[in-house]
Order: sequence, then structure tokens, then C-alpha cells
Amino acid sequence: MSAIEVDNLSFGYTPQSMILKDISFDVKSGTFLAIAGPNGAGKSTLLNLMCGILISKSGTIRIDSKTIESYKTEALAKKVAVVRQEFVPVFGFSVIETVLMARTPYFNTFGFEDKADKQIVNEALQATDTTRFAMRPLGNLSGGERQRVFIARALAQDTPILLLDEPTSFLDLKHQVKIYDLLKSAQLEKGKTIVAVTHDINLAAQYCDEILLLREHTISPTELQNNSQTDQNYYIGKTKDIFTPEQVEKVFGVRTFAGTVGQEKFFIPLGKLAKDTTKINDKPNSSPSK
Amino acid sequence: MVVMLACSLIGTESVSLKAVCRGVSEKATVNPDYEIFIKVRLPRIILAAIVGAALASSGVVFQALLRNPLADPYILGISSGAGLGTVIAVISGINWTLWGRSPIALFAFAGALGTVWLVWFISRLTGKFHVTGLLLAGVVVNAFFSAVIMFLTSVAKGQEIHATIFWLMGNMTEEDFFVLWMGAGCVLVGILILFNISPQLNVLSFGEEDAKSIGVNTARIHTIAFAVAAFMTAVAVSLSGLIGFVGLVIPHGVRLVFGPDHRQLFPLSSIIGAIFLVAADTLARVIIAPAQLPVGVLTAIVGGPFFLVLLIKYSKKIGWLG
Repeated sequence: MSAIEVDNLSFGYTPQSMILKDISFDVKSGTFLAIAGPNGAGKSTLLNLMCGILISKSGTIRIDSKTIESYKTEALAKKVAVVRQEFVPVFGFSVIETVLMARTPYFNTFGFEDKADKQIVNEALQATDTTRFAMRPLGNLSGGERQRVFIARALAQDTPILLLDEPTSFLDLKHQVKIYDLLKSAQLEKGKTIVAVTHDINLAAQYCDEILLLREHTISPTELQNNSQTDQNYYIGKTKDIFTPEQVEKVFGVRTFAGTVGQEKFFIPLGKLAKDTTKINDKPNSSPSK
Repeated sequence: MVVMLACSLIGTESVSLKAVCRGVSEKATVNPDYEIFIKVRLPRIILAAIVGAALASSGVVFQALLRNPLADPYILGISSGAGLGTVIAVISGINWTLWGRSPIALFAFAGALGTVWLVWFISRLTGKFHVTGLLLAGVVVNAFFSAVIMFLTSVAKGQEIHATIFWLMGNMTEEDFFVLWMGAGCVLVGILILFNISPQLNVLSFGEEDAKSIGVNTARIHTIAFAVAAFMTAVAVSLSGLIGFVGLVIPHGVRLVFGPDHRQLFPLSSIIGAIFLVAADTLARVIIAPAQLPVGVLTAIVGGPFFLVLLIKYSKKIGWLG
């Protein structure tokens, strides 16, 4: 069963330039999908379309077989939770108050939480290892701690679908892995469908079942009319099929060194000065390429 | 309640509670203590409580909606709108009365609401709810109306204008119980509505997109909160003129001490705002007795240092100043 179905979706902030053009894909229920691609390829835009913040005039998005427009704000919030990049610091809400806000659609008529809400919030705090600073104000936390709080809030929303916009940006290696471990366990234990926008294709390769690779694709209206499909503007499929060295180099426009550790593929981007490396233990004095 | 009772007894003419109680029982004889209490002190204290509660709770709303700690109930031009209404009422020389009362307050009320509507309308022209657009529209309308007020006062002649200016500086004389109960009713209903949407206002503190993805119909909440707060401020302004500082400082003070949850913020701010203004008004009556200070002077003189103490004491704890 598909949790999210995207059909012929196109979107542009101005009619002159379309960021997303004719994108179609399905996210099966319980899948961990990563959306990768260069800056400006429309990753965050696609995420905002999938949570109803942006509405597209062309194409459809279905959540649980119903078009996203047919959901009321509150009903959609019971299906889809979002973790965003930016943090707006205001008024010093504490961690537990922040996480509890996820339960707002379930509050009673007087606007207060009940026992079940508190239980769900406690579980979310425990899952994200944020219980010990639950009483601290959000503004006093480090970036990694705060990110976990927002993931806790999304978990407390108790939705089948979880969307994340670059959940590991600004985090150190340990916290990056911790966040992905956490997401993976939410997928495996609770059967959540997870879609994460990410720049880190190595972590995505390790943790995600499927990859949507977007290319930068700004096209003019005339091109749109002529429908001159010169090249595919996105690739979707199983992680191992999508993350090939050729594809990654083509989409990101950068030379990479590709290797494997066990089953996992990894990519190291190569700068101008980097030697052309084909093996890990390449001789340092081999000739530079191109 | 205790504060209100205590304040009602303090004044230029000292009134003894015993004498007042006696007055209640023996209605026939003339009892000066009772007369002062019922006809002068009580209405004034009720008025101060209404205005204090209205200003404090609408201050909470504007700070939450605009996500700006500098916001107060007057930030979107309500003050200059009320002022303009008053000046127009005086200059046009209307001499009709409404239920035996001067319609100046009515003009102030209309001016205040009209201005807020104008600001809201202008900011809506930009498309959706933009905090910056709303603030800018408010500032510009405020400046424009202030200029119009200055222009009108300089062209107009006569003493009434000065009277108007003094009226706007904040006064606490309203003896008509009918008007008082109307005001109290409006403010009470307003606070209840705000309390009802307070969980949603909590979520809105994290920005509009976040609030939407948690399930808050942001457009609806914005409209309700904004309309109610503007209405309550307009009621307060037309009852008592402009009293600064309560709407800015009480919400911050309550937030610093009790935390930012709007579900406690509305009840606490309105109660503390009411107590604060009743106390300030009592002080204003007695401090240079038999003359009286404008209450706005006192709210700033007393409230300012008090707020700074709170700020220094609590700001580290909550880490919201960055």
C-alpha cells in the first residue's frame, strides 16, 4: 500500500521558472526514502508540497489515497508530521512544553492534555533521549539536542508518515548517526513511513531503502510547451540502483571517489587538487585527471 | 479582590470600611463614607481592573502574533486611531448626546477599530499574514494619523482640544455603571475566547509553517486573536484613554516568572494587569493629594524599575533573550 503517491507533480514559485517538473513516484507504507540532490533542485520545495504548506496547481499528491487538498489542517497533522530545519526562538518554551504541543489537535475542550497525551510525550522523549533535559528551555540547548527535541515532537504527533528536512545538518558525526539510528528504529518498530531530505548521501545510502535523486532543473515555459525532454530530471529506485558513481557525478556535477565498506557504498567528493583515485590505497604520485 | 477593596478605602478622603458597611444597612440616612465608596471609588476601581485586564491580555496576543517582544496593544495604530476619533469628535463640535453622555468615547472606539481594520486590510494586500508587513503597516498608519492629529490640533482653536489631549493621556473617571458593566462583559468574553485558543497560540510561537504541520488552522487563529485583542484594546482606550506600559510589561513580567504557556498567561496576565492598574491608579490618586497624577505616569514610573528587576533576575533562567 502506498502512503504517499505523487502524480505528474510540477511546481514553480514563479510561472517563468519551474523547479519541479512532472515528477511521479510512490512511497510504499513503511519505507525510508531519502530525497537527495544539489542545492536548488527543489528538495525542500517537494517536502513542503508533501506536507501541504505549498499547493501545486499541476499534478496531485495523495496521502493515504486521498488528495492532500481534501484534508483539513488538523486531519493532515494526524497523518503527516514534519521536522524542519529552521528554529524560531521565542518566549523560552521548555522541551517538554514544546513536545506536548504536538498533541494540540487531541487536547480536550478546555485546551488541556490528558493522561494518554502525557504518556505519548514521555515515550517520545525517551525514544529521542531527551528526557534528562525535558525541563530546560529550548534556547539553552545545543543544535543536536534541539534537533532531537523537534524529532520528539514529530514522534509525539503519532503519525504514520514522518517528513524531515535535513535532519542532520549542523550535527557532528556521532549525532548524525544517532539521529539516523533513531529514525530507522521508528521505521522498523513503529512501521512509520519516513521521507528525509538530505545532503549526506553516505548516510542515506546506509539507512534508506529508496532514494529520490533530483537534478537541478529550471526550465522555461517554451521548453515546457515543446516538452523537450532532453534528459531525465529525477531518478527514483532502490538505493543500490540509484547511487552509482556515474549517476552521483552527473547529478551533483562533481567528481567523486566511490568505494564500498561491506555492503554499503560510499562517496567522497573530489576537489580540484584531489588526485584521480580509483583505489583506496592509490599511490600519491599518480597523475591528476582532466 | 482584596487589593480592590483595600484600594477603594485609600484616598484623599479616608473612608472607613466600618462606615461603609453601616451605610449598606441603613440606606435612609446620608452616609458620606458610603456615598464616596459607591459613587466614586467603586466605579473607578472596576474601571481600572477592566482596563488593566484588557490591556494585559491583548498585549499577550500582540506579542504572540507578531512574535516580537516589543509589541504592545498600541503597536498597530490603535492609539492614534482613537486619538483621531476623539479630535474629530471635538473639532466637528458635535453637541448631541447618547444616553445623556458625550459621544467622544464612541468616536474614540470607532477610530481605534477603524484603524486596526485599515492596518489589517493593508497588510492583507501583500497576500498572506506577514508579521513584517503588519508591523510596517501599523507603524506607517500610526505616523500618518499622528500627523493628522497634529495638523487638526494646530488649525483648530479653543480649549476643547487641550481637554481632548488630557483625556487621551489616560483618565479613570467613569461613573456610569451601565457602561462599566458593558465594558466588563466585553473584556470577560474576550479573555475567555483568547483562553480557548491559547494552545494554538502556543504552537504559533514556532512560526506559521510549524503550526500548520501540527494541525493549527493558522489563518483562523490569526483572525480570531487579532480581532479579539483589537476589540478589547479599543474598549480599554475608549473607556480610559491611553494608558501605556501595562500592555507591554505585564505580559513580559508574567512570562518571565510563570513561563510562556498561553493557557496560564491569559488568566494570570489579566488578573495581574487588573491588580497592577488598580494599585497604580490608587497611588496616582493619593501621591500628590489632593491633586491627581495621570495614571500613565505612574504605570511607567513604578512598572519600569520593577520590570527591570524581573528581567535581570529571570532572563538567565529562561534563555529567551538569546
